[in-house]
Amino acid sequence: MATDTAITSSDVIGEINRYDFRNEERYVFKAKKGLSREVVAEISEMKGEPDWMRDFRLKSLEVFESKPMPRWGGAINIDFDEVYYYLKPTDHQGRTWDDVPEEIKTTFDRLGIPEAEKKYLAGVKAQYESEVVYGSLREELGKQGVIFTDTDSAVREHPDLVRQYFSTVIPPTDNKFAALNSAVWSGGSFIYVPPGVKVEFPLQAYFRINAANMGQFERTLILVDEGAQVHYVEGCTAPMYSTESLHSAVVEVIAMKGARVRYTTIQNWANNIYNLVTKRAVAKEDSFVEWVDGNLGSRLTMKYPSIYMVEPGARGEVLSVAFASAGQHQDAGAKLVHCAPHTSGRIVSKSISKNGGRSSYRGLVRTEKGARKSKANVVCDALILDPQSRSDTYPYIEIEEQDVSVGHEASVSRIGEEQLFYLMSRGLSEAEASMMIVSGFVEPLVRELPMEYAVEMNRLIELQMEGSVG
Amino acid sequence: MSTITEAGFTQEGFDAFLLERREPDWLRRRRIEAWEAFEEMPMPRGGEEWRRTDLRAFKLERFGLPLLPPADTAMPPGLLGKGVELAARAMTFDSLLLHAELDPGPAGQGVLFGSLDDLVMEHGDLLRRYLLAGIVDPFYDKFAALHAACWQGGTLVYVPRGVAVERPFYLLSTLSPGGVDLGHTLIVLEEGAEATVVSETASSDPDGGGLHCGAIEILLGPGARLRYVNLQDWGSGVWHFAHQRALVKRDASLQWTIGALGSRLAKVNQHVALVGEGAHAQVNGVMFTEGRRHLAYHTLQHHQTPHGTSDLLYKGALQDRSHLVWRGMIKVDPDAQKTDAYQRNDNLMLSEQARADSIPGLEIEADDVRCSHGATAGRVDDEQVFYAQSRGLTRKEAVRMIVSGFFQQVFDRIAIPNVREALAQAIGHRVREYQET
Amino acid sequence: MPMTEYHPVCQVDEIPDPGKAVFEVDDRFIVVFHLDGEWHALDDCCTHDGGPLGEGEIEGFQIVCPRHGARFDIRTGQALTMPAVRATPYHRVKIEGDQVLISLSEQ
Repeated sequence: MATDTAITSSDVIGEINRYDFRNEERYVFKAKKGLSREVVAEISEMKGEPDWMRDFRLKSLEVFESKPMPRWGGAINIDFDEVYYYLKPTDHQGRTWDDVPEEIKTTFDRLGIPEAEKKYLAGVKAQYESEVVYGSLREELGKQGVIFTDTDSAVREHPDLVRQYFSTVIPPTDNKFAALNSAVWSGGSFIYVPPGVKVEFPLQAYFRINAANMGQFERTLILVDEGAQVHYVEGCTAPMYSTESLHSAVVEVIAMKGARVRYTTIQNWANNIYNLVTKRAVAKEDSFVEWVDGNLGSRLTMKYPSIYMVEPGARGEVLSVAFASAGQHQDAGAKLVHCAPHTSGRIVSKSISKNGGRSSYRGLVRTEKGARKSKANVVCDALILDPQSRSDTYPYIEIEEQDVSVGHEASVSRIGEEQLFYLMSRGLSEAEASMMIVSGFVEPLVRELPMEYAVEMNRLIELQMEGSVG
Repeated sequence: MSTITEAGFTQEGFDAFLLERREPDWLRRRRIEAWEAFEEMPMPRGGEEWRRTDLRAFKLERFGLPLLPPADTAMPPGLLGKGVELAARAMTFDSLLLHAELDPGPAGQGVLFGSLDDLVMEHGDLLRRYLLAGIVDPFYDKFAALHAACWQGGTLVYVPRGVAVERPFYLLSTLSPGGVDLGHTLIVLEEGAEATVVSETASSDPDGGGLHCGAIEILLGPGARLRYVNLQDWGSGVWHFAHQRALVKRDASLQWTIGALGSRLAKVNQHVALVGEGAHAQVNGVMFTEGRRHLAYHTLQHHQTPHGTSDLLYKGALQDRSHLVWRGMIKVDPDAQKTDAYQRNDNLMLSEQARADSIPGLEIEADDVRCSHGATAGRVDDEQVFYAQSRGLTRKEAVRMIVSGFFQQVFDRIAIPNVREALAQAIGHRVREYQET
Repeated sequence: MPMTEYHPVCQVDEIPDPGKAVFEVDDRFIVVFHLDGEWHALDDCCTHDGGPLGEGEIEGFQIVCPRHGARFDIRTGQALTMPAVRATPYHRVKIEGDQVLISLSEQ
């Protein structure tokens, strides 16, 4: 990617302003600060949920309270009593753009949703605070039986389907933050694709955190039936804030026999956000699940998209890019668990640390007994751009089946001097040359993104390299 | 040497043990501190160190301070001391040093070798700073504390400045069934010194039990060179806990090869700290596990200064339902620019029920470095076996050949011929034939 | 080849109904369950992380692993929920008089 014009400071400031703005808080209902049975029950009541979901939330709260904080990964300094766990900006969900309150529309206008909707996307779910404000679904998809809605609505409109699969991939007991999400979840996407249906355009959602001490707890459930295909894209932005904010999402994906699912995330949280996410897919016979995960920003991200290949022929792939700049710790990676014969998995992880940032890869490849003829390959490359920064690699390889082939390699280094020299001898400044090399470094992931995201991603990396963001 | 003590590591036993020791006060005080820590610390469990190693079946109270070894027990012969001319030889049995001899040549040059227990009295001033330096941290865990309190039957290899000893030093530690080995090995090479040390462990009964709670401390002065081979071949019932650490100073070079064949459960920490500029370490592991044994080896390559290089290669072949855990970390401090560090772990699964955990790691805080690691796991290639069989080899012979080929890369690194051959043979014998399913 | 040797582990009245206890049998740790008049035995091992299972809660005929909530069917060892996907070994239990005996299945 060549840059014909240098990036000026006003461009950069413009970029910051594009994301860093906040609206006055005007909300229909704001829950009390802190976490309690009362708050959790209130959330369920506000949403008009069936009893089983309310009970599930309350049980999850108990689990959250009983689990200790993890002693690995990054430093989590959250006062759970100081967080607001629920906020609902409007009373109804907009059907078309015109129905949405002006203020919120402005926010999303600036984020570019309407253009995207027209050109590229089948349907858009935009999340503002904790509720989905705007949604629309292309008619063709509707007729094909594709369900794309927010999870709250799905609980009401498709109770049997939801109840059958909800929390079966990630039970609330899985880890402390899954338990928290299970108690206070709100918003997120629910997608069901019927057998044989291939959704041609990526389905997309945006997230935003605005009020001080706001937590985001979206819960996404994606069910792809036999032979179906879908690509889901999420991108997040948030303004700069001085107090801690917490984002703890849970994403469950089930790919039935022969299904194909790709889940793409570009995350660009501001430096005060804790981003603690549990994402896991179950891949059935001959299915293929891909996680494409771009992490730039946040104070601390802990996220390890996983794929459990539970039936023969299942395939999983994770492409992960993490960029940690000043004050940021990306503790990200992937997990591949091979539970059946003839499964194959691949992890490609690229991480960059700059300006004192810390980027850690943390991953698992496990071949369970019986996963004969399975293959897994992991490649982790890390670029560490200056002496103040830090890079870690923590891979775990557990082999319980003899008849497998597993390979892993990782390396950490700085930008090669020969490469830099070569580019500079062609007239580029050191900064420009570095930028080119870093772009090339992350190219395997960026080229897998939908066009618009690719542009946004490259722009975000540029800003990170400038050191002006983060 | 202590006389009869009751089973269990008790205060009374420890007090009696201290009374009988003839050693400097500073060492006695250190033992007392360590004993207090030992009593306070719980048995380790969980966390990154222990979650893959289950100690529930280990009953520390079944062991106690070493008793005198039984009089008529046949000593195991050892594999590595044969067919080679040695500079020195020492043998311990159940923590009792039976025998130590040093050639007059090196002795005349100021080399010290033999019973650490005795030499610490004669050369207290010299050894004090090494033994109190905490090369191995005596408070690292309960086993480190137990060892620091109760070590005995230790061995010293000390080579003074500028002295190069060509022929190897040989140490053999053995256990009777149910015996206890608390030996401490201290190897110090002063500036410019050179030596080769070959040590091995064995049990008089290959199926025998026992406890080994040991430590190895190595210090290489600037420009020193050490080749160290350490073969663990305890009986299949032995519990083996060891803390091993080397400090490598400026321009010094360490080649450290570990062989692991025996024991019921082994938990070994093998740490190398490169503390001087231009330090170099090559760490090799040859592991062959079988039966139900569980071997956990945790290695560390810690680069603290610039221009250091380290290269770790651990290869394991697993049979029956054994479990091999290798956990390795490369840690590069912010000042350690121009570090070049590498680790590689390859596991060959020879049976259906074996299990291998491979956990490399990198924690890098300097930027002008090259650090990488690789790990592979797989099984014997059936095509290769078929090809060998079609050339007249039995299946067992074919697998043996493949296993030998698998380890070749590590063997090539071992410059000591008799060691290479002995290790290769020992592994070859162990390769079992499996019914094809 | 299945092992038909039975090892005594405890007296019948040592485990209440409902109740469980962990025993060491031939170098393996086994959880013995007494539920609804029935006796069952499983490896004391959650197949998700390899840690002990016996410390968990009993819910109906399920044992819930205390660390990540994986559930196993006490009567068969089958894994019922994520994050476990593989069954944990099930062992035969026999009562002779007032003694509880276990026959270990293959690992």
